[in-house]
Amino acid sequence: MTITADGMAPTISLDGVRKARGNLTQARIRWMILALVLGFGAVGGRLVQLGMVETDTTIEGQTRDAITATRPPIMDRNGLEMAVDIRVPSLYAEPRRIIDVEEAVTKLRTVLPEIDEAWLRNRLSGDKGFVWLKRELTPAVEEQVMRLGIPGIDFITESKRFYPAMNEASHILGSTNVDNQGIAGIERHMDTESVALLQELGLARGNALAPVELSVDMRVQHVMHDQLVDAMTRYQAIAAAGVMMDIYTGEIIALASLPDFNPNDPASALVKDTFNRITSGIFEPGSIFKTVTLAGALDSGSVRISDNFDARYGVRFGRYTISDFHGKNRILSLPEVYKYSSNIGTIRIMQAMGKENYRAFLSRMKFDQRVQFELPEMRVPTVPKEFSEVGAATASFGHGLSVSPLHMLTAYAAFVNGGNYISPTLYKRTLAEAEPLYERVIQPHTSEYMRYLMRLNAISVGGSGSQMNKAALGYRVGGKTGTAEKVVEGRYSSNKVTNFFASAFPLDNPRYAMVIMVDEPKAENPQSGTTAGWNAGTLTGRIVQRVAPMLGIAPDFDPLLDQQIVPREVRRVFPEGY
Amino acid sequence: MIRRINIFLICTSIVMLVGVYMLKFSIEGTAAERSSIQRQISEQEDDLTTLKADWAVLNQPAYVEPIVRRHQAELAIEQVQQKQFGSFADLPMRPAKPDTAAMDALFQAIDAGIDPIDAILELEGIE
Repeated sequence: MTITADGMAPTISLDGVRKARGNLTQARIRWMILALVLGFGAVGGRLVQLGMVETDTTIEGQTRDAITATRPPIMDRNGLEMAVDIRVPSLYAEPRRIIDVEEAVTKLRTVLPEIDEAWLRNRLSGDKGFVWLKRELTPAVEEQVMRLGIPGIDFITESKRFYPAMNEASHILGSTNVDNQGIAGIERHMDTESVALLQELGLARGNALAPVELSVDMRVQHVMHDQLVDAMTRYQAIAAAGVMMDIYTGEIIALASLPDFNPNDPASALVKDTFNRITSGIFEPGSIFKTVTLAGALDSGSVRISDNFDARYGVRFGRYTISDFHGKNRILSLPEVYKYSSNIGTIRIMQAMGKENYRAFLSRMKFDQRVQFELPEMRVPTVPKEFSEVGAATASFGHGLSVSPLHMLTAYAAFVNGGNYISPTLYKRTLAEAEPLYERVIQPHTSEYMRYLMRLNAISVGGSGSQMNKAALGYRVGGKTGTAEKVVEGRYSSNKVTNFFASAFPLDNPRYAMVIMVDEPKAENPQSGTTAGWNAGTLTGRIVQRVAPMLGIAPDFDPLLDQQIVPREVRRVFPEGY
Repeated sequence: MIRRINIFLICTSIVMLVGVYMLKFSIEGTAAERSSIQRQISEQEDDLTTLKADWAVLNQPAYVEPIVRRHQAELAIEQVQQKQFGSFADLPMRPAKPDTAAMDALFQAIDAGIDPIDAILELEGIE
């Protein structure tokens, strides 16, 4: 096959056919390999490129999971829903996929005419991947919009909080914003606990969340709210509030403050004066504070329940004289000081105790710090660090210091439950869980005195709680009135008052404590007055009359029940007891 | 020999191709069915949340009370008063022994044709 040319110049060498063909094949193979490498390289490169692309799953900065996340339902102590999640469609657009903006705007506005045209046009133009158009719509609107068939417009199902009780438990529940995050009340507290974290992780979906059980009893809450609404019109008050607590476990059974708001419409919470007066309002408590003074003095042993105090003349401090509102102008025994709400007598009792001891007792009762409670809306009380002579005297009957009604409630609960301070809670708590939290503030025998004094005030002739007892006969309620004059233009005004009634029932074996507040009440009719017994007192009576059967307390008219709580020492002074 | 094997392999691969395609299409169908059921479940769950909310509203004391008030006059219902409560302790105990003498007298009277109920009814003015 090789052709050799003899005699030709040796420089010319011709390859053989085989060799030439072999060379050609090798070249082809090389090209082929190159083409394949390039081809596979291109495919590989594209794969890497695709792998690098990060699809944006967030919706305006939030993960989709966070948007569809649900909150646990809130139940009252009997399992009645106080807050539930409903799933509602929300309208969104993908502007980069919208072909004809003008057409989309006109079509959308046929279903949703309330959307501003210019705003909508601006919203739909551009190259964004996701924009909200309108959140939390109804399924009917969803149906109509879907029928328009506009490309790039779609719905996403969001969770929305719904409060079936409307205004009734507004201050307990608080509310949530459009992103289903708690902004007030127990909703906010739940977020700081754990719910927010679950939502962030995308775990809070479906019905997987265990319901949160509150200590509130919606039936009692309803009665309290209903009666407060009634009191607002009856006494033309500017505000009214009430709170009830289980004295042994610290569970709040009901808490309402008027004016209130509708948590389904969070904007209504921004209206002035809708703040929670029970926790974030601080007031001069007035005479309901006398109970604190008496409890402190009796517990310290510096006064005995059978002691007498001179209330014939006012107490002079320099130019000022403090006298009594319903002056008896005679020597009063300790139970009479309480019954007639004598300022003079209370000052003498406080002075027997000593103002330093008295101030220390207020600290022991936690009057100079916030009450430990779940609601975020709390205010620090203002109690002077040290008392002057006159400061201690006014403080003994509840002026010159400001505390929240919740402070008064926990103090009263401790006075009647045997002397143990228990911080209130909105979550269910059993007695076994509560007992380790007890802090002894007064001795059990002092607590027995306090029960007697409170009951005395309700059933004894001339007691300031007799108005209250008329409505709640048989339920063994007892308590103390407090009429605190408001400071108007730098001086105490006698026609603008804040009225309180702090009570406990049934006093033969107390279970519940309650504080009721009526702000700036007017007389109901010309025969009645504006002092606390007439409004806060009767209101307490009406509430107890309705809620006691719900709480399993049967009326009992047996006079023995009242007689058995009379301390033996009192028998020596008043043999009949009351 | 080799030809036979080739024909066999070609046939097998055609059969397998058809099989795989059929499997693919059936899976697509199942997937579509699954997603439609999922959508249906989610829709029903959405409806359920609304129904639950409705139920919660209907159970609220605040919802029930106005209804009660509306029918108060018609049904003659009133707020429960303290005196309406009683206890088992207030009920009289059963007599220790049945009053046999009175029972005998009653039966004898009925046998004699005098029913004391007539006298009671007459006294009450009921015919």
